[in-house]
Amino acid sequence: MAKNLSGDLSVASANRLVDGVVVFLDDAGQWTTRFELAAVARDKRGGEILLERARAEAFGVIDPFLVAVSEDDDGRIEPISLREKIRASGLTFDAIAAEAVRYA
Amino acid sequence: MPDTHFYRPTHFYQYDDYDRTLVSERVEQFRDQVRRRIAGELTEEQFKPLRLTNGLYLQLHAYMLRIAIPYGTLSSRQLRKLADISRKYDRGYGHFTTRQNLQLNWIKLEDAPDALAALAEVDMHAMQTSGNCIRNVTADHYAGAAIDEIEDPRIWCEIVRQWSTLHPEFSFLPRKFKIAITGSPNDRAAVRVHDIGLRLWANEAGDVGFEVIVGGGLGRTPMIGKTLREFLPRDELLAYLEATLRVYNRYGRRDNLYKARIKILVHEIGAEKMREEVEAEYAAIKDGALKLPAETIEAIARQFAPPPLPHRPAVVAEVEGLKLDDREFALWLKSNVAPHRMAGYRIVTASLKPAGAPPGDASAVQMEGVADIADAYSQGEIRVSHEQNLILPHVAVEDLPAVWRALGRLGFAEANVGKITDIIACPGLDYCALANARSIPVAQRISNHFAELARQHDIGDLKIKISGCINACGHHHVGHIGILGVDKNGVELYQLSLGGDVDFGKTAIGAILGPAVTADKVVEAVDAMVATYLDNRGDGERFVDTYRRIGAQPFKERVYAAV
Repeated sequence: MAKNLSGDLSVASANRLVDGVVVFLDDAGQWTTRFELAAVARDKRGGEILLERARAEAFGVIDPFLVAVSEDDDGRIEPISLREKIRASGLTFDAIAAEAVRYA
Repeated sequence: MPDTHFYRPTHFYQYDDYDRTLVSERVEQFRDQVRRRIAGELTEEQFKPLRLTNGLYLQLHAYMLRIAIPYGTLSSRQLRKLADISRKYDRGYGHFTTRQNLQLNWIKLEDAPDALAALAEVDMHAMQTSGNCIRNVTADHYAGAAIDEIEDPRIWCEIVRQWSTLHPEFSFLPRKFKIAITGSPNDRAAVRVHDIGLRLWANEAGDVGFEVIVGGGLGRTPMIGKTLREFLPRDELLAYLEATLRVYNRYGRRDNLYKARIKILVHEIGAEKMREEVEAEYAAIKDGALKLPAETIEAIARQFAPPPLPHRPAVVAEVEGLKLDDREFALWLKSNVAPHRMAGYRIVTASLKPAGAPPGDASAVQMEGVADIADAYSQGEIRVSHEQNLILPHVAVEDLPAVWRALGRLGFAEANVGKITDIIACPGLDYCALANARSIPVAQRISNHFAELARQHDIGDLKIKISGCINACGHHHVGHIGILGVDKNGVELYQLSLGGDVDFGKTAIGAILGPAVTADKVVEAVDAMVATYLDNRGDGERFVDTYRRIGAQPFKERVYAAV
């Protein structure tokens, strides 16, 4: 069962400057590409602090912002909006491979 | 297939030293800007307009490089280079867009200057693909080959390109500005839905000039352009464009992003007032520096001289035999092959819409394959259509079976051009930072559902166009069936419209059918529309003709009963 659908739970995200890759701020204040390692703020105040921290660590990333997430009973987090789900997990279809001649 | 890697002269504009210097200086300028950004000497706020003027956007997952393909014309050498760049600096594929450009979706910032330098090696760049400037000019993709062509519109696209590139007065317009040119009465460039559309035609005296159409556009507020000038002498084109842009630059709104396009200005002040303003400005400048000398026009026109096509037979026994023996070949001839101005030749469309594929996507291998086919069978020339396909403009009739087989090996011989699976779709929410909903997966589901070719040909001409947001990059407003993705409280919904069209004289904005449907109901909704058409169509009627005759109600009833 997902909790906190109001969006009080949040993680900080940005795109990495050199390649645009989606990154998340972890508990150690490092930017990681692994969504599951993102530091989670549990209320609005926590979100504000997390965002300030992300901005302080913003050298090397572009425009940090908060992503509303939900958490299941096992503690797994997931972005609430489809846009952020796609940002976190990639394309929702299989792109054609460089050497492909037919779409599989 | 014959040897494909020999040198071939091109039959379109070739860069001179001025062009090459401009492009290469621009690459080095951007290289330094990127270095300063990565070093922290420039903020993102400072850097963003610099990267955008070089076609580099930041999307959901990565940077995207939008590469200009002027008037949709490519040489085989250029297409091979695009394949090479996509393999070296991206993920080995690219997306051909509705503005005849190519987008690479996974470019790294640190690689972008090298990618631009590689483009410059083949006289290409990414300028005028972003920002509030005059964008890359588009043209009829059959230009220079069409049987119905009055004059090759690319001559004029190139003249406009040279005038507009880095034009100091028009580099910060109220909003972006798109120009399309057609040289045929059968408009394949959608000129009535551009900021300026130009249509070459011959008057009763036999003089060729332009109909100047201003204020068309799609997006949030779709408008069909108004004719400001019925007939403009060709040598006065730049002065008239300059006058129009000046009026727009002066009066276009800068206070509201959504009301900044020229279509809003024309709508608000009216076509008559717009005409008065433009004509007054034009009168003041028409005999000045922008009046085109005949020798300048001729010099550019010479570069677009048709390739020397040798005589080839118009009727070929092998083609006729294969047409009888192989139904797929017969269907392909019907849908993907168009008449050429010269007997013994045809224009071939390579469909970038095989069943279930993302519309307009091509892998590096496929791009190289098309380049090889162009070298062997089409004078080394390729065109990109705004319908997201690739065109081989000069194929001999007797080579059609070989071209069909070669395209088939690439997966690009689907006999579906103009049919229900020849879908236009923007990248949508899978890539785009502006999108509200996904486009490509919806296109894939429709494509798979209607994949059977015999059924597609039975349904006949039917254009489905899908946009993932109201910016309408997928041209949904002018689809016979338009599909617009919207976000309602975090759920993707799809608004359906019917009756859009870009055919000249019939250009129309589609009417919304009713409430939006969920993603999993889109295929059923389209299926219901098709069934309504098949039940009601008269002799020779296309889908859109039947819709015009019987109206929306029968479609509406069936769709909402089905979903």
